[in-house]
Amino acid sequence: MSEHFSRRDLLHTAVRGTVLATLGGGAGFLIRKAHGQVVWQVDAARCLNSRLGEVGVAACNLCTTECVVSLSAVRAVNEHSRCGRCNICPAYFNITSAVDDRGLPSEKLCPRDAIMRKPIGKADPEDPANNFYEYLIDEEKCDGCGKCVMQCKEPLGLGSIVLRIRYNRCVDCNRCAISTACPKDALIQVPVEQGLRNDGAH
Amino acid sequence: MQYRQVAVIGGKGTGPGQFGTSLRGIAVDAISNIYAANDSQITVFDAAGRLRRRWSTSQPAHSVAVAAGGAVYTGEIRQIEIFDGAGKLVSTWRDETLLGPVTAIGFVDRDVLVGDATGRAIRRFDLSGKFRNNIGRDNPLNGLLVPNGVVDFGVDARGIIHATNPGKHRVERYTPSGELLGHIGHFHGTDPAGFGGCCNPTNVAVGDRIYVTEKAGPRAKIYRFNGELEAVIAADVFDANCKNMSIAVDRQGRVYVADTVKLAIFVFEPVAV
Repeated sequence: MSEHFSRRDLLHTAVRGTVLATLGGGAGFLIRKAHGQVVWQVDAARCLNSRLGEVGVAACNLCTTECVVSLSAVRAVNEHSRCGRCNICPAYFNITSAVDDRGLPSEKLCPRDAIMRKPIGKADPEDPANNFYEYLIDEEKCDGCGKCVMQCKEPLGLGSIVLRIRYNRCVDCNRCAISTACPKDALIQVPVEQGLRNDGAH
Repeated sequence: MQYRQVAVIGGKGTGPGQFGTSLRGIAVDAISNIYAANDSQITVFDAAGRLRRRWSTSQPAHSVAVAAGGAVYTGEIRQIEIFDGAGKLVSTWRDETLLGPVTAIGFVDRDVLVGDATGRAIRRFDLSGKFRNNIGRDNPLNGLLVPNGVVDFGVDARGIIHATNPGKHRVERYTPSGELLGHIGHFHGTDPAGFGGCCNPTNVAVGDRIYVTEKAGPRAKIYRFNGELEAVIAADVFDANCKNMSIAVDRQGRVYVADTVKLAIFVFEPVAV
């Protein structure tokens, strides 16, 4: 009997280890949680920075300032399937900054320079307006301030950038400090399976 | 030149002449009757804004245009329904390949031009519905960049097609055969003469000038054909969350703009300064 348990435990550990190695630390956190348990996540439909109908207001910064983890467990992520891949991305550029000699805004929006872009398909170096771009967010730099999220949302953008808790950073507080401070009650607890599904975009 | 608001037509509601959930396209005919593509129907108002008639379409209506003979072309998803002026269905063109959401319809020579938002192209058909050629696709590299999901265009008196290319912050000129002739417009985040945001202008109409709408913040603007900005119309009347506001102009120079949130058609006319 004990040998049976040992072999099963060994197999279980091996499978779990393989999955963890494949998916990385954030997914590992979720896998360690049992089915039926909950994790904290940002509800984009409630978040001031991403919900529709909020225009002309400054980005809320509470996810950055209230999280107990240094450099916040909240990150901006770009859901690529919804991204317009715009040349003049209002989350990448400060679109009200002076226009440079290439016809592009001269300043970037992100204060931590956490958003990168690269042209997709045939790049035209003589006419940057001819290109689509893929936008990537460097999660080592991002602190979840939400400025890019606010600029990306409808109607200015397509709302592809949202704030999301990263489970490789979240310490799973019983009472999330951001949820206590959030004026829109946008920090909610979701089933661990849902957290795992949403852990991929960057 | 300056413009003043002279009427508001429609509005959100269930009453006669109101719009329920959507107002995606508008057009005017030669005598300034106003046609709205709203919900799953076409609603027709006279020049004074009085409801004249309305009829159902088989799918949600995305665009509308009125041919010289009075036929009413309605853009839907993967199809166009053609009605006579009384609202009787005459024909349906359905194409699973060449038509996605049909966000604009126009006419040139004896052909029908159709804005296909999925293919990011203007499709040119003859009057029988036979495909002839694409306009704006892959020209010169990536074609029409429309993150906002709308291909829109107008046709001037010479038969030149003026198409919005919002991702490039331009209105481009094409021949009916698809040759790119040039463009007006450029990106600028603060100068009203430029087009701001990620993707503007979203919609266009052509008369003796080029009339466009922008989103975030929503406004209508008028340009001369050489690209010189002539007027900014009423930037403060539209709902701030508006996007893809259809625009039309009649022979008297009155400008009609569809507010897609308030579900109302704002009418402006030029005033002497």
